[in-house]
Amino acid sequence: MLKIAVMIKQVPDSQDISIDPVTKTLNRSMARNVVNPPDVNATEAAIQLKDRYGGEITVITMGPPMADTALLQLMGMGADNGVLVTDRVFAGADTWPTALTLASVADYLGGFDIIICGEETTDSSTGHVGPGIAEFLQCEQATYVHKVEYQDGYFIVNRDIEGAEETIKIGSPAVITITLNANEPRNPTLRRKIEAYKKGVRLVTNKELQLDPTCIGLKGSPTIVKDMKTVPDPVKNPSKPGIEELDKIVTVLMEKGVVK
Amino acid sequence: MPEYDAIVVGAGNAGSAAAITMASKGLSVLLVDRSDPPGAKNLSGGVLWGNDLSQILPKWQSEAPLERFIQDKKIGFLTEKSSIVIDFKTEIFKENKVGYTVLRSKFDPWMAKKAREAGATVIPGITVESLAMKDGNIVGVVESGDIITSNVVILAEGINPRLAIEAGLREPLQDWEVSVGVKEIIKLSPQKIEDRFNLSSTSGMASEYILGNLQELNVGAFFYTNKDSISLGIVSPMEQLRENGVTHTYDIIEQFKEHPSIAPLIDGGTVAEYGAHMIPEGGLDMVPKIFGNGYMIVGDAAGFGFSNGLVLQGMNYAFLSGILAGETAIEAKARNDYSSNVLAMYREKLENSYVLKDLKTFKDIRKVTNNRNMYTTYPKMLEGILLEMLWERGQPKKKVRDILGSCAADLKMSKLKTATDFYYIYRRM
Repeated sequence: MLKIAVMIKQVPDSQDISIDPVTKTLNRSMARNVVNPPDVNATEAAIQLKDRYGGEITVITMGPPMADTALLQLMGMGADNGVLVTDRVFAGADTWPTALTLASVADYLGGFDIIICGEETTDSSTGHVGPGIAEFLQCEQATYVHKVEYQDGYFIVNRDIEGAEETIKIGSPAVITITLNANEPRNPTLRRKIEAYKKGVRLVTNKELQLDPTCIGLKGSPTIVKDMKTVPDPVKNPSKPGIEELDKIVTVLMEKGVVK
Repeated sequence: MPEYDAIVVGAGNAGSAAAITMASKGLSVLLVDRSDPPGAKNLSGGVLWGNDLSQILPKWQSEAPLERFIQDKKIGFLTEKSSIVIDFKTEIFKENKVGYTVLRSKFDPWMAKKAREAGATVIPGITVESLAMKDGNIVGVVESGDIITSNVVILAEGINPRLAIEAGLREPLQDWEVSVGVKEIIKLSPQKIEDRFNLSSTSGMASEYILGNLQELNVGAFFYTNKDSISLGIVSPMEQLRENGVTHTYDIIEQFKEHPSIAPLIDGGTVAEYGAHMIPEGGLDMVPKIFGNGYMIVGDAAGFGFSNGLVLQGMNYAFLSGILAGETAIEAKARNDYSSNVLAMYREKLENSYVLKDLKTFKDIRKVTNNRNMYTTYPKMLEGILLEMLWERGQPKKKVRDILGSCAADLKMSKLKTATDFYYIYRRM
């Protein structure tokens, strides 16, 4: 019976965000909120672990009160519990206090055999939080995992490393981060969603965690943004084929007998 | 014992109105929508007449995400080179604000939120697969192999009601029943909108046109001001699109946008969104049996919409039909009888309201909206008359009667044919 936690984040749908040319910040006003895509893969990985080895899954997010819909969606997929870590003092956090806060929540909830995160978020792409949680909790970790099994108290994971795949064995408790498209996430069902809405999510604030206010939120964030630059769209390389070249390519392929 | 008193499928205006009506009277309600947030995939032209909304959400005018109240309503004809428009701007609209431009992707999630606040269980992001039936009664909905049961299912699925069709509650849509609407949202600063259309920071303009500049199609167009964008689009009957083999409806919207009287109004704007949707235009003839054992059909799914070429309404019919279905379900619960005997009350309520009264009054309106002359000959005739009357070019003046005669002759219309056509249009509108 594994105690599994999944750390997730609600992010603006990357299809709907643009960069404000003046302020150089993300314009999120048109974007609806979605679960960070690799976090959905992380949840699917958790459900597969539960299906095979038995267990209980808690999805956890730190965010504003409206982030409860993200938890409810994942509970609709098959997670058992949802925990929303929400408090004004957590606002404005960069990856350091975020990892600290989430690690503290895991501790506060009694600890887990495995904590699963997405490889990175689509709105900041640092990949810091998973490893950060592992460091704060002093447990073993594996990043960029696309497959995980559990044997004799150890997790056997397959990691994507550049140009190859690495299989390693890590002890419990463990933190792993799951790659985007590592698996095919199941759809939430109406029945499970109804149950999730009935059950609701558990709220955790800093009253429960009692973290030093100078270590969390904006105050606890060591990152200082010095400058932001927008990168222009890459110039079209005329030597590389574009859409208009497709017909030519198809003709050549047909001449060579590659396609019929 | 069913799990819910009522399951509502679809969080559009009709579905949410029904859910709010029932939940606020203590019924247990499940409102399911395919989109997350609920209702965010919904689309319509964008003018909401919210008179009926006051019944269930008295503070809607101050709480809902509305764009601008309609103070200026225009109706008109466009020909290739001219626009002939009646501009009705009135303080009466300002004193009684009921018409607003809205963006449904913001408004509908708000309605669904209100349903949740009223006590309904609102589940987004789920597409119901089919209706659960037992002994000829609708007893719930099916999804992922699970049956969720209820005493009554309210089908608010929208214009293409797949569940109702698959359950045999109505026939598949026919071409004549619908038009295709194509819409763009064009970003424009509030400053530009207010300057260009002579508006205040809260007032808005809604125009509807008959396009007399297209050869084969009876196309209507709309142009509405939002806070910082314009909603514009075209509406074309499916039947004609198919007959003429027109698949590129975006060409039509481009022609509208490039019209000399429209292009300057959107100059400097950027297209932020575009979409297309079907619109019920079959009138009373397309309305199916809207109730039966354990179900009622509301809004677009029931074909409740009104168009006469110059006025295009649907959201008000959605609100009211949703409310009336909700009231009927409340009554059915009180009697503990959800059979078609009791649910027939929904039809009666609609008969006594403007929803079915309008559809009855205008049952022949398609003969007007299908009249080719409305879209080709008459806009040109009007243009000709106005040119004769208003343009001084050193020619002797003619009486209106003679102008009419010569314009009709130029367009190969006999006086008799024009007169009878006008008479029928007059009678049907």
